[in-house]
Parts: sequence; C-alpha cells; structure tokens
Amino acid sequence: MKHSVNRPPTPDKDDAAEGFEKDEVTLREIINVKLVESGEKENLMELVRDRLVECGWKDEMRIACREHVKKKGRKDVTVDELIRVITPKGRASVPDSVKAELLNRIQNFIVSAALCV
Amino acid sequence: MSGADGNKSSHTELSSQVFLDLVDSVIADVASECHRVARLGLDRDLEVVEEELRLSVEARAKVADPSNNLETNTKFVVDIFGQTHPPVASEVFNCMNCGRQIVAGRFAPHLEKCMGKGRKARAKATRSTTAAAQNRYARHSPNPRYSPYPNSVSENQLASGSPGVADEDCTNGTVRENVKGG
Repeated sequence: MKHSVNRPPTPDKDDAAEGFEKDEVTLREIINVKLVESGEKENLMELVRDRLVECGWKDEMRIACREHVKKKGRKDVTVDELIRVITPKGRASVPDSVKAELLNRIQNFIVSAALCV
Repeated sequence: MSGADGNKSSHTELSSQVFLDLVDSVIADVASECHRVARLGLDRDLEVVEEELRLSVEARAKVADPSNNLETNTKFVVDIFGQTHPPVASEVFNCMNCGRQIVAGRFAPHLEKCMGKGRKARAKATRSTTAAAQNRYARHSPNPRYSPYPNSVSENQLASGSPGVADEDCTNGTVRENVKGG
C-alpha cells in the first residue's frame, strides 16, 4: 500500500469551519505582525487618518460625540462609552472610495507577504 | 486556480478585518480626543456661554415684566442670604423714654406721642393756651425740622412763618393799638 493512501485528507475550505477559522485567526496574527514589522501598518494608519479627515468623517464623529456628551452630561462620560456610541456609525459611514483604496493596499500587502512566506 | 481563488476570498476577508482594525483605531483616537475636550470643558465654552446668556435674558425679562405685582415681590423677595424681610418689623423692645414694651414697627408713632415731638401731640399739650399762641407754635416748630427739604417747602414754611411774624407784629400792633386804643 502506498503511504499516500493513508495520508490524511488535504484540508479544504469545505472542511470543518472551526479549523478554518482557527487558521484564519493565526493567519490574521501573522499578517498583523508582518504589517507592524514592515512599517506598513503605520503607513496605512496615516493614510486612513488623512482620508477620513479630508472627507469630513472625523468631524461627523466629533459632532456625534458632542451630542452624546451633551445628553449624558460633561462629567459622566467615559472613553469606552464614547467608543461604544460612535463605532457602529463610524464603521458604516466610511466613504466607499476610502474603503476601496485601503482594501486594495492591504490585499496587495497580504499577497506580497504571502509570497515572501 | 481554485486555490488562488480560495486564497483571494480569504484574503478579502482578511483585508476587511485589517481595515476594520484600522478604522477602530481611528475611532478610538477620535473618542479619546472628544472625551478630553468634554472633560476639560474646552469645546463647550461656547455652549456654556450661550446657555448663561439665555438664562440672563430670561431673568431680565422676568424682572422687567410689568404684569408682575412688584409690591408683593419686593416685600416677599428673598435676599442673597436667603432671608426674607417682612414689611413690618416685629421685634419687641423697651422704649427708652417711657420704659414700655413697644413693637419695633410701631416705634416711630409711639415716640411721637411719647416724647411730644409730633405736631398733633404738641398741639394737644398747648391747646389750653390761646389760639394765637397755638398758631405761632405750629408755624415755628416745624421750621428747623424741615431744613433738609427743598427750598420750595422751606419757602412755604417761611411764607407761613412770615405771616405769623406779621401776625405777631399785627397782634402786637393790635395789642398796642388796643392798648393805645384802650
């Protein structure tokens, strides 16, 4: 008998989802580490910040924060609360052009990083 | 190829994750900044000033409102120490002239009667004398008291006084005349 018969089946994306997700998590970590090490993360952060300020997204978020502070009272607000309040709105209101540009750059990085692995 | 496609889809998902991480970081930055501004009251100065302006305008309108019954307001208004001042002083003490117990709010009228400073009280005391003497006294005594009053009043007093003087002269004259006549 060929040893290849006894070889465990090649992991497929149709296979157990949990396994795939576990791989994804570690993959995410790996990519994250690569991003930081290469300095690409810093570049991406700066790019994101610039784009979001240009398009007025940051001002919209600041207005939303101020509204919440007005409601809750100046002294009682915490950072966590503010983050919790504006995150859903913030994630949803990123302009498509900004999102596309960023996703493109990230994918390019992942591909090039994968190649280097 | 399928492998590459599979990679691509996982790549898309992966890159979305990375993108969301980046956005979350920026959101945290904005939240932190706004929190700082809010707690230090830096940005809010405008609004605080606006609110204070509004309140002061409201207060001014209330004060200037003519429909308010101003008399009752001034009598029952509360001062900055939270005390109210009743219109009539209610403390009781002993009069230093007659030794009786007097309510502070009624002290002035009491003194008038008690010390004989008032017109009516003095007039009562001298009622027993002649009518001329009574007139003379009534005209003379108010003069020194009314000196701080404006000139018109004192002039009136003088005017009433002078006829008194004239009267005096007249009376003297008449007396003399009478005497002479007599």
